[in-house]
Amino acid sequence: MPQGTFFVVNMRHIRNFSIIAHIDHGKSTLADRLIHRCGGLADREMDAQVLDSMDLERERGITIKAQTASLLYTAKDGQVYQFNLIDTPGHVDFSYEVSRSLQACEGALLVVDASQGVEAQTVANCYTAIEQNLEVIPVLNKVDLPAADPERVRAEIEDVIGVDASEATLCSAKTGLGIDDILETVVRRVPPPVGDPAAPLKALIIDSWFDSYVGVVILVRVIDGCIKAKDRMRLMANGAEYPVDQVGVFTPKSLVRETLSAGEVGFVISGIKVISDAKVGDTVTLATRPADKPLPGFKEIKSQVFAGLYPVESNEYEQLRESLEKLQLNDAALRFEPEVSQALGFGFRCGFLGLLHMDIVQERLEREFDIDLITTAPTVVYEVLMKDGSVMKVENPAKLPDPSKMDEIREPIIRATIYLPQEYVGVVITLCTQKRGSQVDMRYHGRQVQLVYDIPMNEVVMDFFDRLKSVSRGYASLDYELHCYQAADLVKLDMLVNGEKVDALSVIVHRANAHYRGRELAAKLRGIIPRQMFDVAVQAAIGSTIVSRENIKALRKNVLAKCYGGDISRKRKLLEKQKAGKRRMKQVGAVEIPQEAFLAVLRTDDSK
Amino acid sequence: MSERRIIPLRPQRPTPPATPQLSAPPPLSLYIHFPWCVRKCPYCDFNSHAVHQDGIPESAYVDALIADLEAALPDVWGRRVLSIFIGGGTPSLISAEGLDRLLTAVRMLLPLDPMAEITLEANPGTVEAARFAGYRAAGVNRLSLGIQSFEDRYLRALGRIHAGAEAHKAAELALTHFESVNFDLMYALPGQSLDHLAADLRTAIALAPQHLSCYHLTLEPNTPFHHSPPAKLPDGDLAADMQQLVETMLAEAGYQHYETSAFAQPGKRCRHNLNYWTFGDYLGIGAGAHSKLSSHTGVVRQMRHKHPGAYLAAHGHGDFVQTEQGIGVADLPFEFMMNGLRLIDGIPTDLMEARTGIALDVIEAKLIAARERGLLEVSGDTLRPTLKGQRFLNDLLEMFLD
Repeated sequence: MPQGTFFVVNMRHIRNFSIIAHIDHGKSTLADRLIHRCGGLADREMDAQVLDSMDLERERGITIKAQTASLLYTAKDGQVYQFNLIDTPGHVDFSYEVSRSLQACEGALLVVDASQGVEAQTVANCYTAIEQNLEVIPVLNKVDLPAADPERVRAEIEDVIGVDASEATLCSAKTGLGIDDILETVVRRVPPPVGDPAAPLKALIIDSWFDSYVGVVILVRVIDGCIKAKDRMRLMANGAEYPVDQVGVFTPKSLVRETLSAGEVGFVISGIKVISDAKVGDTVTLATRPADKPLPGFKEIKSQVFAGLYPVESNEYEQLRESLEKLQLNDAALRFEPEVSQALGFGFRCGFLGLLHMDIVQERLEREFDIDLITTAPTVVYEVLMKDGSVMKVENPAKLPDPSKMDEIREPIIRATIYLPQEYVGVVITLCTQKRGSQVDMRYHGRQVQLVYDIPMNEVVMDFFDRLKSVSRGYASLDYELHCYQAADLVKLDMLVNGEKVDALSVIVHRANAHYRGRELAAKLRGIIPRQMFDVAVQAAIGSTIVSRENIKALRKNVLAKCYGGDISRKRKLLEKQKAGKRRMKQVGAVEIPQEAFLAVLRTDDSK
Repeated sequence: MSERRIIPLRPQRPTPPATPQLSAPPPLSLYIHFPWCVRKCPYCDFNSHAVHQDGIPESAYVDALIADLEAALPDVWGRRVLSIFIGGGTPSLISAEGLDRLLTAVRMLLPLDPMAEITLEANPGTVEAARFAGYRAAGVNRLSLGIQSFEDRYLRALGRIHAGAEAHKAAELALTHFESVNFDLMYALPGQSLDHLAADLRTAIALAPQHLSCYHLTLEPNTPFHHSPPAKLPDGDLAADMQQLVETMLAEAGYQHYETSAFAQPGKRCRHNLNYWTFGDYLGIGAGAHSKLSSHTGVVRQMRHKHPGAYLAAHGHGDFVQTEQGIGVADLPFEFMMNGLRLIDGIPTDLMEARTGIALDVIEAKLIAARERGLLEVSGDTLRPTLKGQRFLNDLLEMFLD
């Protein structure tokens, strides 16, 4: 890493801030503008959108790992300020990480698209910022667009969030308009950090990742004290101690420094081997002179959604394990343990923060590690009260104990906050009701409506996001948090293909919907499972009772009519294509079941 | 951090030799392509081109074919040619004189077996008695007629240039001039019922050709039919019933079903096609023609310049081959099976080694798996597809793909 002498400024001249924005509202573009304006990177280094470094993030326009940039800005008052721009993950699955990033700041830019207005995610993050006493600075982005309506959006910010937006800065991250105003506003309104450089070290872990050259890198905000190379640091959550190898800052290029002291944000490289030891939200102190208590708010991350990941080719199991281990190096939230399915063979039960997190892991496995996967329908964690009084957690529907041994099943309930234009209130309420939701609150903010519902998480992982987007034509936005566990009348619905129970297709459903879902699933599988060389029966069962049956008639022939010596390569390609299609199928008994079947259990068709 | 292995080790399999050695060269056939048609049919994916308004440059094309053959002689040096097939396109657009000049040149350049089967493809819309007599005199002893159907409405649906009456007339004429005649028929035609297929089959059987090829109409990629499929195509179940009907009616009429789509009277199987299916060698000359040739260095495939214009131009610079590539050792067993398992009677167990130089044990596990699925029968010295294997030949063949 390059050695450097990043200008050390007085604490009074430090400004730590984040950008809070909804996906697509221009956070990354704005961050790039700020970095560029402060000379953090030359033009040729400005690979579009610096802060979103993973390709996948760039494609989806979301930030998964928080990154940061320390910038030097010479303000109009002639003073040089150190700006620490702390990036925040932009999705509902990562709300805990967001709260830790915000805890490291004294201010936040609330960036709102001047034509689209406030979205649920922004509101949730903004409330987190306000709760942590951050100075919130409203910025209206994309004012250059013809559809921009700054006055309306200004009113919306005041109405919905309750932040004074009268002085909101108008900007266009795309054209560069208003960037200087933003920088000056940061200088003027974001308070400098308060902390005692002479006190025992307290540094908050904002993020951590694995670097193949130096091991685990942690990003910290130093609250009190200072940390330097050769110190012996201690992680307060587990008491583990490590020698510090290097400290430094990102400009956003990494720059080694002698010390990081109170108020600053930078990286620490030590002997930590696995990322799960460097937990986001944990407090770093020094072994020689430890702080008496850690910073507040530390939580262990818990997986909320589980799914089985199986290699299509059983000989890729080891490769899948190694790939998951590699992903885990940089993803402390990813959990996995070996699992055996009768239908799918050896695989892993993986725990995720949410559906998006699951999607990302799945896609990275397929894209970066080239593994064909069968993913089972995601499921939530159920609590089962057994007859003997013990409580058991069930992460896999197939593992639900025998009904005779259970006293009750409790399912997780989320509290969902939904923002939407008022014309969609009717359809969204209908959707929430269908999903067994109960209304907690409903408020009108001008044309926007805020709905708060308690909904079983089981229903949300099914297809709630998709349905919500579709009934509201994409205008509704959602934020949620785990609320409580509640007893419910749930049963396990099994699917049988040619008499064999396909454990990976089992789902836990509410008893009232069980028959309907059974019929629907059997019909859906009939449409998805291709005709085979023999008749295939698809059945849905609750316990030993068959609730539905569908029949897939046998295919009668599959043969190329013509094949002469001539152009054999084309015929060959045809067969290769057919074979490649089957590669994504899983052999269960003698039946080939395509990947879609395992996800079909997700999609419901309540609209009929 | 140490780099971890991503790819797990696979169980060791016997390693075939890098360049398999054949104990004897396979039988050799000659294919000659004629790339023009009066009109291109919407289901056809062969290398054929509608005739240009200036007509066909027949003489230049025959010159090019002869030059092509001369240039290819080193590839087949000293090997006897057992059959010739002149296909297209519509080879019956060529004049009897042109064909005579071509076949005379072939005989001069190559040792042709005295009993060689010489087939010409003909379109019922381009038939005249005098021309048939001329073809016969030039040495053609087998005629393959693209009848497709005897019913006008299906012929129209297929975009054919002939009508049912012409098909009938051409068939009779062919049977009076040639000792061996094949009819190409198609089934699963747009709107076709079992009864209509039965009527077509009865007409064909009554004419008593020596050979019948009955093809399920297939929507090949890069054809108008593939792009916009015709309405009322029979579904998979009806098409399967049709296949059944074809097999039953032709068996009752004394035709032996010997390949997926081929039926023949005893002793009248098509030797040229059998050579393809038993993985023999063939030299293909003419625009877009494919060759498969074995030598001590391995098995190669060649394709001649595909467009007639490019092919004719090649005559100027003498390089007729557009592409050439070896068939890798890993691909040979699959390609062998892809051909051989089309034969209803199957293939001798020692044929693969004779044709590819690769011992059958290399694919033993796959053969066992295919047998377990009831697709393949291994009895004594024969490998053959079971009835189920014939119906699901694609599934059987896929098992030999890696």
